[in-house]
Amino acid sequence: MIADAVYTVMFYGFSAAVVILALAAVNMRQLLRAALALMGMLALSAALYIMLRAEFLAGVQILVYVGGIVVLIVFAIMLTRSSELLEDRPRTLTRWYGGVSSILFMLVACGALCTTPFPVQSDAQPAGDEVRKIGLALLEQGSAGYLLPFELISLLLLVAVIGGTVIARKTRPRNQPFTTGGDLRGEAIVQAARGQGDVTPGDRHS
Amino acid sequence: MTELLARFAPGLQEWLVLCAVLYAIGLYGLLTRRNAIALLMAAEIMLNAAALNFVVLNRFTSPQLVDGHVMALFVVVLAAAEIVVGMAIVVALYRIRNTVDISHMNYMKG
Repeated sequence: MIADAVYTVMFYGFSAAVVILALAAVNMRQLLRAALALMGMLALSAALYIMLRAEFLAGVQILVYVGGIVVLIVFAIMLTRSSELLEDRPRTLTRWYGGVSSILFMLVACGALCTTPFPVQSDAQPAGDEVRKIGLALLEQGSAGYLLPFELISLLLLVAVIGGTVIARKTRPRNQPFTTGGDLRGEAIVQAARGQGDVTPGDRHS
Repeated sequence: MTELLARFAPGLQEWLVLCAVLYAIGLYGLLTRRNAIALLMAAEIMLNAAALNFVVLNRFTSPQLVDGHVMALFVVVLAAAEIVVGMAIVVALYRIRNTVDISHMNYMKG
């Protein structure tokens, strides 16, 4: 009885906090503050995972989202100087149709969810060895296993790392030798090669 | 008081409604924001709601299995990959066009 009451209070408290922080993250004009609200929202989602008895996922949520993705977002905000410029207020028309369509979506989804009979097993409890089961499921080849998606996702991560690096790196002007020392050093090498002719043996014929 | 609170203990519907509300908030951000980074943040909220939905349905319909957990893990990894590539594109676009306002990003070729 007491446990149920505490669970209820925790659920509504965390839900209210998560919803308010998500609203702040989509409405704030200062993007750094919005990123901070997003971080709080994701951290509180980890609390919701713990309430659902998914402790491993809560840890992953904190590690990947709060530790990785939010830091990446903050870096991108700083690199693009979005923190100095306030974001434009959305036009009233945009705000209206965004709000109306999202509220309509929410109503339709809630109606569908509340009228669908789900096969709820209310008395069954989780066994408590979810981490072991997740590990076994990720490496199992049969019909209940996820070995192929697991391997594919490692390939996807590799592609994302390489793609991100290639897209975001500095582009250099043409006819410039590739160096690992950054653009300025490459430019200096090119100018030296044009001026004197023998800086390094590799640059002589260029 | 405790009896009243215990009677309103959240079931499947309450959790699913929470996920739907979070998803709708992300949708609102996606439709109204103009900064590309803010768009990606709204997409993160939506992905988070979807992962939470997987875990909720797993907890209430088949607590002995972990398929929903595995799916939520995949969603988290996909979100990480998406944000890496998205941020790289945004930074590269900022370098070319000097803005991240998506209403100005209407060319395929910079």
